[in-house]
Amino acid sequence: MNRVVAGFEDILRIGLHVCRGNWSKREDVLITGDYQPLVDVFSKMNLQQFVLEYATPRAGELAVVGRALGDREIGLGVCNPRTDEAESVEFIANRLREALQYWSPDKIFLNPDCGFGCFANRCVNEEQVAFEKLKAMVAAAKLVRAEVETA
Amino acid sequence: MLNFPVTQVGSWPRSTTLLSALREKRSGRMSDKDFNALADNEIRRCVERQHQAGVDYIVDGELRRDNFYSFITEKVEGTRLMSLAEMLETVEDKAAFEEMLQTLDAPAFSIRNPTCIGKLQRRKSLAVDDLKFLRTLTDKPIKVTLPGPYLLTRAMWVTAYSTDAYGDKPVMADAIVDILREELTELAAENVEFVQFDEPVLTEVVHSGDDKRRTFM
Repeated sequence: MNRVVAGFEDILRIGLHVCRGNWSKREDVLITGDYQPLVDVFSKMNLQQFVLEYATPRAGELAVVGRALGDREIGLGVCNPRTDEAESVEFIANRLREALQYWSPDKIFLNPDCGFGCFANRCVNEEQVAFEKLKAMVAAAKLVRAEVETA
Repeated sequence: MLNFPVTQVGSWPRSTTLLSALREKRSGRMSDKDFNALADNEIRRCVERQHQAGVDYIVDGELRRDNFYSFITEKVEGTRLMSLAEMLETVEDKAAFEEMLQTLDAPAFSIRNPTCIGKLQRRKSLAVDDLKFLRTLTDKPIKVTLPGPYLLTRAMWVTAYSTDAYGDKPVMADAIVDILREELTELAAENVEFVQFDEPVLTEVVHSGDDKRRTFM
């Protein structure tokens, strides 16, 4: 990865998105520290942002990455692209407030956990649901932005 | 910069019209020109929805792509889009292959792989044309997504097909690094605001004891 981005670090915002994939089957393992190797690798990568999944609540997980990578940007996954109902603005806002313990406001992006339609032969999510989720993220961003500015 | 910009990870739900057009194109029953005209319209609608929702960084929904990494067979010489059935005949480690599919959460019937069958060379840009089209639709910052080097190396190497050209996986990986760097050079020249590499199999690379993969990393 570092060979790919060498020389571009200062001129491009480059992020890395890692899907949950096999992590989801191993939640307890991840929380008890098996997640650390990935964090160690991330911290060696000369990348500005890590786009990760956080829509599924798992206590402690945000802290592991937040403590190690608070100097980078986080693309905070706050919507599950595989469910039919949009997350509430309050749910997203709470994730965002939690992230503010580890990242400064200018380092947090909001995004879904993954693409809304990963593979060509199946729509992971219907367009209208995806649209509602985008709107919920925009509303939550606005809400917490105001909180941060008045704080 | 605005705090908490909202964006997407990349792909947007594909309409039934687009899905059937992708199939028609793949089977050669639809010309590139017709397909692109249709995809242009789908991307227009996708961008409109993002504008309506108030998103800050716009994506094109990857609507022109077969999937988020196999699409490179259209752009890179020395590759062939292969069905799972074709691959299973030759794949050296069937268990590992199954595991990769699981990692990607990919239904076996729909996945198509960009297999390396010769020397890799970028025929056209991977994403610059998509970026240029997107610029005509929005004044907002744009995020472009690309498959990452680990994913490509892992997916493209199929020993039975790739050995003649490269001998060994890390040698092919060097070619992939070059291709991605060429792409970044062009994307930087177009002042793209955000490039995201997708690495769904990275966890496994990290946990793997395979020295060759480690060397590449």
